[in-house]
Amino acid sequence: MPLPRFEFCEPDSIAQACRLLAESDGSAAVLAGGTDLVVKMKRGTIKPDLVVSIARLRGSPIRTDNGKLIIDSQATMAELGSHPDLRGTFASIAEGALAVGSPQIRNRATVGGNLVSARPCADTAPPLLCWGARLNLRSAERERALELNDFFQGPGETLIRPGEILISIEIDRPAGPTGGAFLKLIRRATLEITIVSAAATIVLDEPDGIVRNARIVMGSVAPVPLRARAAEDALCGERVSGSSIDRAAAVAASVAQPIDDLRGGAGYRREMVEVLVRRALVLAHARAGGGR
Amino acid sequence: VKELIRLRVNGADVEVAVRPNATLLETLRDDLGLTGAKKGCGEGDCGACTVLLDGLPVSSCLVLAMQAHGHDILTVEGLAENGQLHPIQQAFVEAGGVQCGFCTPGMLMSAKSLLDSNPAPDDMQIREAIAGNLCRCTGYQKIVEAIRSAAETLRRHRRPA
Repeated sequence: MPLPRFEFCEPDSIAQACRLLAESDGSAAVLAGGTDLVVKMKRGTIKPDLVVSIARLRGSPIRTDNGKLIIDSQATMAELGSHPDLRGTFASIAEGALAVGSPQIRNRATVGGNLVSARPCADTAPPLLCWGARLNLRSAERERALELNDFFQGPGETLIRPGEILISIEIDRPAGPTGGAFLKLIRRATLEITIVSAAATIVLDEPDGIVRNARIVMGSVAPVPLRARAAEDALCGERVSGSSIDRAAAVAASVAQPIDDLRGGAGYRREMVEVLVRRALVLAHARAGGGR
Repeated sequence: VKELIRLRVNGADVEVAVRPNATLLETLRDDLGLTGAKKGCGEGDCGACTVLLDGLPVSSCLVLAMQAHGHDILTVEGLAENGQLHPIQQAFVEAGGVQCGFCTPGMLMSAKSLLDSNPAPDDMQIREAIAGNLCRCTGYQKIVEAIRSAAETLRRHRRPA
């Protein structure tokens, strides 16, 4: 199927890109890797008059600034999957990135695209939510920061406004022994859309100590990636044990609102997300240096 | 209105006028006559259109030609040298890794990118490298064997005499 007609431009600066988007009055689309936008244009679900490629605005995929990790919105899944800064504490972000698509897709698909597309099954969203990521957005009028936690509003719906570009994603490095994990359930090893997923992070007060902070986020069980706050609270202030993890996983699964679709039934998803949360917590705790 | 883009294709600098909505795959096949890369699903699921962009495999059906401006493209036509099949191509022939042939150009490009970065992959790494290339004929086993055998040949060639 050929692509419908559109104008194309590739501005040199963020300011110029923002101006083009503002002048287009909502009839322009931002193009990063194109693995989502080009498919939607082929299917006719998005019909922009103008495609604004932001390729020339790309920065270094990941940098560290004052202890903060800053991920460029155009970092590809392949870049995140192999980046040395995502091998230790932040390994769950690389695990999410490597769970996306195929090698060909991961070489083009960007983390910014994965977030802005806002599918409930997006694989980088749960780990980034667990790390408390903030988004830096730019438009012709303003620059603003948003908590990723507030960003998702529904399938394909976010707080990004027409004319805004997601520039980068920021994460504070947690103090204390910390571990995270991302797991997803699929029917075969690759090129599969998530049936359910779970990400977890655990911050301890000292090695093998008390949980100071925990985050649990589940994918494909609600219209948006879903945080399990009651389950997080249940873990905090205590030493991690098999039974505390079992309890937290059960509480997390109880807030899931999955649907039946061709990838899995709602009941199956609710059962399996409990298993995935449990495994993600066990792995995150071990990576935080717990249970040794 | 067509716009002029410059790119390097199989080692040669090329200038070509493209429509803004042309994909890289359409430009390679229709404007440059390089029909090795195939159009399968058109949505990035099948891998038949795989080419290397700056050395990395991409689905050329999802890349706009305009996005390839200034970049280096390698297609299956760029593998053979002086009429001699590339060792990866030769290995596919010898191992029986080609049946209907529709997936073959994409498979070869994924294999090329793998062996450029990892001269001694294990079978799992080979399978991961071709995870985005569907083959409905071979059952993949002969393709994995071909890539393993090509890796050995290439390592032998690289060894200093």
